Amino acid sequence: MAAGPVGGGSGGAQTAWVLNLLTDLAFNLLIFFVVCASSAEDEKGRPQQMPSASKEKANEQKNTNIEVAIARTTVTVNGTEVPLAELKAKLQGMLAGKTRQEEKVVVVKSAKDTPYSQWIRATGAIEQAGGMITLQLEEEREVVR
Amino acid sequence: MKFNRRKLEVTPPYVSMADIAFNLVLFFLILAKTQDDSNRLDWVPAKATGAQAIKNPQVSITVDRDNKVYLNGQQIGLRELAEKVTTLLGDKPPTERSVVLKIHNETLAATFEPIMEAVSQAGGEVVHVIEDERPS
Repeated sequence: MAAGPVGGGSGGAQTAWVLNLLTDLAFNLLIFFVVCASSAEDEKGRPQQMPSASKEKANEQKNTNIEVAIARTTVTVNGTEVPLAELKAKLQGMLAGKTRQEEKVVVVKSAKDTPYSQWIRATGAIEQAGGMITLQLEEEREVVR
Repeated sequence: MKFNRRKLEVTPPYVSMADIAFNLVLFFLILAKTQDDSNRLDWVPAKATGAQAIKNPQVSITVDRDNKVYLNGQQIGLRELAEKVTTLLGDKPPTERSVVLKIHNETLAATFEPIMEAVSQAGGEVVHVIEDERPS
């Protein structure tokens, strides 16, 4: 892309003009890289495979699958309280002999006052242990808007 | 009297045009980046392990400190959520059906479980935005 000053000019004026262009270009490049760098900061997240939550299905599965109940401060596996740090190991042991996908389903029931931070850690441990999460929802739930 | 017409030699300002084009590219780049209003919402991610970089999220649902739910930055009620997410996802292939959940770490299950159910009903893949925590 070549363009010269219209009508020419003295050597000094021409140098100043070229310098002006180069400064412009450098500034634009600087902005370009700043924008690119800021948009390169990707968010981090954890994908979660979750079959469609069904109340009836969850009730049917309740008897055959592992049930994890998450409350505000506690986690229970089939009614036995397990510290969150030991949940993964406990579930790994329980899922060890199971090969079929449907046997690996872990029914997760959460108390209404369970904070997300507690829930995400517990479900993370279930997934790391090889379990497949299915949410068991309560029949009636107040809709929070 | 006869006037001599001066012939004007007009050279298109190519350099300036390139500058303008470049600035336009930057403008649209910034515009695209700020289109998702969910970046300005007030929420704190939960800490957990197993985070991966999220690529090209199509739909984002945010729950802020005040328990308000936003779909792509616009406040929405839980009842309308499944329908709207279904519309947004349309007939997209499975690889493009990610729904990013940005849930404030203190949000209670009474709020976030119906959201997950709605995404599941809409056929979306749930991706929880979390702050990566090193396993102890």
